[in-house]
Amino acid sequence: MTAATTLPQFPWLSLLIGLPLAGALLCLLHRRSRQECRWLALATTLATLAICIGLFVACRHGDGPWLLREDAAWIPRFGIRYTLGLDGLSLLLTLLTAGLHVVAVLLAWPEQRRLPQFLALLLVLESGLMGVFLAVDLVLFYLFWEVMLLPMLFLIGIWGGENRRRAAVRFFLYTLAGSLAMLVAMIALYLLHGAQSGSYSFALADLLQTRLPLTQEYLLFGGFMLAFAIKAPLVPFHTWQPDALSEAPANGAVDVTGLLLKTGIYGMIRFAFPLFPNATRDALPLLAALALVGLFHAAWSAYRQDDVKRILAYSSISHLGLVLLGLAAWNTTAWQGSVLLMVTHGIVTGALFAVVAMLRSRTGTRNLNELGGLWGAAPQLSACFLFFALASLGLPGLANFAGEILVLLGTFRSQPLWALLALPGLVFTAAYLLRLVQGTLWGPAPAARAAIPDLTVREWLVLLPLIVLTVWLGLAPAPLLAPLAAVGGLP
Amino acid sequence: MTMLDLLALAPVLVLVMGASTLLMVGAWHHEPRPLIAGGIAVALVAAATAGMTPPGGAEIAGLFSSAPFARYFAILWALTAALILMLSLRYAGERAFAAGEYVALILFSAAGMALLSGATSLVGLFLSLESFTLALYILVSFHRNSDIGAEAGLKYLVLGAVATGFMAFGIALIYAASGTFHLPEALAGLQTGGQLRPWGLLGWGLLLVALGFKISLVPFHLWTPDVYQGAPAPVTALLATGSKGAVGAALVMVLGSAAGAWQELVPLLWLLALATMLVGSLCALPQENLKRLLAYSSLVHMGYLLTALLPGSPEGYGAVVFYLTVYAVASLGAFGVLTSLSDPRGEPQDLAAWRGLGYRYPLRALVLTACLLSLAGMPLTGGFIGKFALFSAAIKGGFTGLAVIAIFASLISFAYYLRVVMVLYSSDDPRELHSGTPLEHAVLLVCVTAVLLTGLYPGPLLDLTAALVP
Repeated sequence: MTAATTLPQFPWLSLLIGLPLAGALLCLLHRRSRQECRWLALATTLATLAICIGLFVACRHGDGPWLLREDAAWIPRFGIRYTLGLDGLSLLLTLLTAGLHVVAVLLAWPEQRRLPQFLALLLVLESGLMGVFLAVDLVLFYLFWEVMLLPMLFLIGIWGGENRRRAAVRFFLYTLAGSLAMLVAMIALYLLHGAQSGSYSFALADLLQTRLPLTQEYLLFGGFMLAFAIKAPLVPFHTWQPDALSEAPANGAVDVTGLLLKTGIYGMIRFAFPLFPNATRDALPLLAALALVGLFHAAWSAYRQDDVKRILAYSSISHLGLVLLGLAAWNTTAWQGSVLLMVTHGIVTGALFAVVAMLRSRTGTRNLNELGGLWGAAPQLSACFLFFALASLGLPGLANFAGEILVLLGTFRSQPLWALLALPGLVFTAAYLLRLVQGTLWGPAPAARAAIPDLTVREWLVLLPLIVLTVWLGLAPAPLLAPLAAVGGLP
Repeated sequence: MTMLDLLALAPVLVLVMGASTLLMVGAWHHEPRPLIAGGIAVALVAAATAGMTPPGGAEIAGLFSSAPFARYFAILWALTAALILMLSLRYAGERAFAAGEYVALILFSAAGMALLSGATSLVGLFLSLESFTLALYILVSFHRNSDIGAEAGLKYLVLGAVATGFMAFGIALIYAASGTFHLPEALAGLQTGGQLRPWGLLGWGLLLVALGFKISLVPFHLWTPDVYQGAPAPVTALLATGSKGAVGAALVMVLGSAAGAWQELVPLLWLLALATMLVGSLCALPQENLKRLLAYSSLVHMGYLLTALLPGSPEGYGAVVFYLTVYAVASLGAFGVLTSLSDPRGEPQDLAAWRGLGYRYPLRALVLTACLLSLAGMPLTGGFIGKFALFSAAIKGGFTGLAVIAIFASLISFAYYLRVVMVLYSSDDPRELHSGTPLEHAVLLVCVTAVLLTGLYPGPLLDLTAALVP
């Protein structure tokens, strides 16, 4: 393992999970002083990010399927082990998680209500997400998968908008329904594998060896995909998502919510596709169809919304439709595009949500009809908004473009029809994003509006790195693609 | 009765002797604190005795097992009694309970539960079940000035007496069909019963009805919500943990003593499990009273247990024992929080009274959250591992359909348990309730530690429970 030569021996992956958790506990213990909590949370997220960057630099050229691996016995009776593994895919996603959490903590700076608890939950969420992206034992994965729901439930349910309780519980139950289907499929797979090989184990590497009759494979694949499709969200299962995203607290939690969607895609790539290759192969056209429907349906829904946050929520579904299309095209180019788009979409949409939060805290509204004429009042904020909106619609030279073009190219190579069908979707995207920009930045300003202050230093600190990243990844996405080359499970 | 028998009975004897002594002392000394403290000491000594006496091989008088299985439950119920008495210290004092009787009855019922968990004969089953049920009849309506307490007591008594009738008649039929009271032979006799076989089966059905009353399987569950609601909170805790748990353990003993002999009863049990889980889930959803909610949800848990009992496999029995343990701990924690928030004005049973308590009493709210999540089966808590063991045993045994229904029921259970949690952390102004004594906090700490420990590091307990089952 080449990684070991440059990196000191240490359970780095456990540290990625444990550090935010420790930060969360410290935050709760220091809940008397809000200022201390802020700095604690910021220090924790920055440290986690630093480790992620360190791992990226040290391990990105590793060979073999796993760049780093940790393994320990946990519940021997059921063959459950504490196994963490880092490969190119999880490397990118942990990096994204760590980065967005720094942004989230900075955005949460002005939060007034119960700040320590808020920050603690954000950190617990980070810990859960890290676990999801690193676990390669199925039960361990399931554990993190469920546990990350809890902080999200509380973040939406306590700090959310007007319909927060309903949105929170709905979000929780929807995703839980999928997870439980996955649990049944997991147990069934475990028992089938045990009956075949004589050794009962939940390790991904072992379960990959299972030979299944096609019917069983379909059923189990369905169980896994239900969980991931609800989380992703794939179109018929997406109804929880706009509510959850628009009710999620503006100060920091919402761009993290975007990360939850990535866990669904990640689950497909890591577990569902490799475990059930035959079922996957047969399901690809269906997946592509759903992805295309999602792309259009969500773009159309976004066009019809007046609430800025809901527009962005639907735009997430629409973008993820493109990501799924790339996966369904099943060739290297499209897959790399999908993963790249997943990461850049996290950055760009996270930034857009951040800008909307800043907008909302100034104007007190998210309704397009009550906004407008912002450019004259706050040109810096407006410029940032425009910049990220353009990045989101895939302007060449900005982050999303590279991913989108790779997805379309790859898809066109294997399934030209799908790619041609997807193209008008991008026009839709342009339509709703331009409507969004037009409705907020230009037009007449509402008469009764007080003067709007422009961006503060803290807000610049949030946005500037994101702007740099957006430009950088748009011009030179190769560093992100490099670690993906050795990822197992890609076609 | 030999010396060895007496030694094997020692834990139960400690409980019974201690209870009798405290009952006598209570006739002259009315001060509750020393009496309850004495009860706690007796229960702890009984648990220690059960832990230290070497498990004897022979049965005690042909009625009760002295195997590690029975010993384990003797420890568990003695500890439960000790924790419940600790929770009762302030509660009973504030309500001017007659402490001698109260302590004695709780210890007597713990003794009955310990015996029931190891009953190897139908006579032993009947005697031990009746002995702790009798104690509970009184305990349920112990709060004399409470109307709902009296109602609960009456309901429990009448329905319990009916169940006793069923049980006695069922045992008589089994005896007629098989010619023995001893469980393995009685079950084996069922297969070779010849002409009397239908009567034997009917007897087993009646016996199951009686046990179904105690663990409130649908349709024998109607007493549950009212009794849970009316009984004093610590007594409800005993009902929810020990009473149900001991009957659950007895079911493992009964069904496990002759695998395969009860194949005819499988469809019946299947239906009972299904109905129990569905009715329990649907009735728990709209509840606005925490005790009633926990009552209906207890039905669902018993349904889960049946699901894993049905395959009749060692994995299933081991899972049931594990689940009984984590279920008892989590229930005890939930009722413990309820007890410690109670003050002389009453118990905060209505969910409306819990609004925003998470900010006023953060520690106890966290304990309640952890216990409810464990009951729901959230990973990181013992409840998840328990359900995992139950359902994988059921699927392995070929009861996939029932396991899927059980998992569906646990999805619904998240809906009602989470509703309580969301109420705890809603933003309304919290009411002022009792701030709790250090001892109560200690008990809650024990419960929450056990809940998390069994979730994070369940290996040792899983191995232990798997080794216990017959």
